[in-house]
Amino acid sequence: MLASSVAFVALVVVAAGVGSVAIAPTEVAAAVVRGAWGTVVGETVPTDGATRVVDTIVWHIRLPRIALAALVGAALALAGAGFQGVFRNPLADPYLLGAASGAGFAAALAMVGGGTFAWLAGAGVPLAAFLGAAATVTVVVALARRGWSLPIVPLVLAGVVVGSCLAAGTSFVLLAAREQATGVLTWLLGSLAFASWGRVGTLAPAVLVSAAVLLAAARSLDVLQLGERAAAQLGLPVEGLKLAVVAAGTLATAAAVSVAGVIGFVGLVVPHAVRLALGPDHRRLVPVAAVWGAGFMVLADLVARTVIAPAELPVGVVTALVGAPFFLALLRRRVVT
Amino acid sequence: MNPLQPPSSVARRWIALLVVAWVGVAWAAWPIGVVDDLGREVRLAAVPQRIVSLVPSHTETVCALGACDRLVGRDTWSDHPAQVLALPDLGSAFAPDLEAIVALRPDLVLVDEYSGAVDALAPLGLTVYAGTPQRLEEVFETIERLGSLLGARTEAAVLAGRLRGELDGVAAVVAGRSRPSVFYEVDPAPYSVGPDGFIGRLIELAGGANILPAELGDFPLVDPEFVVAADPQVIVLADAPYGVDLAALRARPGWAELAAVRDGRVIEVTLAQVNVLSRAGPRIGEALRLLAGWFHPGAF
Repeated sequence: MLASSVAFVALVVVAAGVGSVAIAPTEVAAAVVRGAWGTVVGETVPTDGATRVVDTIVWHIRLPRIALAALVGAALALAGAGFQGVFRNPLADPYLLGAASGAGFAAALAMVGGGTFAWLAGAGVPLAAFLGAAATVTVVVALARRGWSLPIVPLVLAGVVVGSCLAAGTSFVLLAAREQATGVLTWLLGSLAFASWGRVGTLAPAVLVSAAVLLAAARSLDVLQLGERAAAQLGLPVEGLKLAVVAAGTLATAAAVSVAGVIGFVGLVVPHAVRLALGPDHRRLVPVAAVWGAGFMVLADLVARTVIAPAELPVGVVTALVGAPFFLALLRRRVVT
Repeated sequence: MNPLQPPSSVARRWIALLVVAWVGVAWAAWPIGVVDDLGREVRLAAVPQRIVSLVPSHTETVCALGACDRLVGRDTWSDHPAQVLALPDLGSAFAPDLEAIVALRPDLVLVDEYSGAVDALAPLGLTVYAGTPQRLEEVFETIERLGSLLGARTEAAVLAGRLRGELDGVAAVVAGRSRPSVFYEVDPAPYSVGPDGFIGRLIELAGGANILPAELGDFPLVDPEFVVAADPQVIVLADAPYGVDLAALRARPGWAELAAVRDGRVIEVTLAQVNVLSRAGPRIGEALRLLAGWFHPGAF
């Protein structure tokens, strides 16, 4: 955990120093100090025009983007670790219960709502995406529940089916609104391009709450790996645990998707990597997955925004390009052993 | 009165008054405010000298208003007039390089209203105009607005007048001629254009009769059977730069017998022509002449 955190901090320092505009490390550091001072003390340090440009780039473009990437990565890795644990299925990822399709459909509707609603885009699309994701998972849970119990197989099936249905809806919306199609597609692929401290502030509480719930549930998730019946005989409130983990994972996923769109593979691959490296103990898996998820996203976004600058790769493309081969290698190993 | 004599005191007073009035009018125009397509008021305290355009049609309009030398950055797709290719490429409007834009210290940034760029750029303290013309009339609206923002109202009025003249000129030539039925293919799905959209209006003004009804919207996905049944006299392949040619058209069931195919009136549009036809900017007259030339080959 300590090593991971140190590596993460080093990564953040590198990411803050690299961008399409070359800025000397000392200037970056000075801009960070001035920005932090301005935020904490509430008054800006008087500077000349050129310094102001550096401050804007470092404090208002790069740092919020790094912070947002880290939070999104942590949120998705947390949700992935939680879902894989509670479903006892290595293929589970944060979008398994339809959160991504729900968010995508709602966001597409909000964007296509017409030029009249375009001014809403600032606050409207993230909010619509969040509500879409949360509502979809709620519907999936409601469809799958049997009385007070939540059987896993119907839950996953309902998630997949509702998800496909909403994905079809999104495609239809895209076809109906060609003018905005580029905007919707960019959003669906996931992007951190328009990060801001405001979005960081919206996402942070959701990630913290979700992390707290999953950490508290870590011990119970370990017991659950014995199987639901065995865990229940050991006195574990299995149904409550499932509901709590699904809720916490959904909160993190919905919040991440609402600010950054649908970014794949992080939630699937990072918990696996941690399990491979450190073993399946959830008390260690949950926090380390959060840190690794954060680091992986910061790194992926760094690649996305620098490798073909001034153009930008969709960050979801980078995570998938790195994540897919990694996952296949993992799969081969499992098959062989 | 001898013209070589210095002006009389009365004349001098008049000249002074005129100068004061002119300065007053010019002064009163600034600071200026224009409402963009998102309903935001875009305010400028002084005539902008460092403009970034992330919309190809805006890049063309800025240059047509004589302000090309005030552009300091462009998006990847802005390629006309050729001199803008020398400007720094700032990515696309949907994923712009924010750092590079800020580093250019622009005093005006022009973006697509659907790109979300305004939400990222405005909080950084930049003045952003968000809007793109989607209809023919909006081209003139945009010219007027950008003219105001750039302090080039006279140039905007002249440009608008010239474009109206070009449109009227083509209209006069095609007036009274029989209108060929036209199918305009945007991509091989096939997507086409409705008669009320930007290209649809150009088709009508160029003396063509779009085979699509207005009810289908501005960018309808068309059932190929509908095209075969309508049997258009002219087919414009705006997807030709992406590999859709006459041979591909013939291979579609029933299309080889279409009047346009039999009469050799399938137009394979070049990429440069597609840009002229699809950008709602200062080259609409050129777009109209292109279409009219295809619809009425004898008249031009």
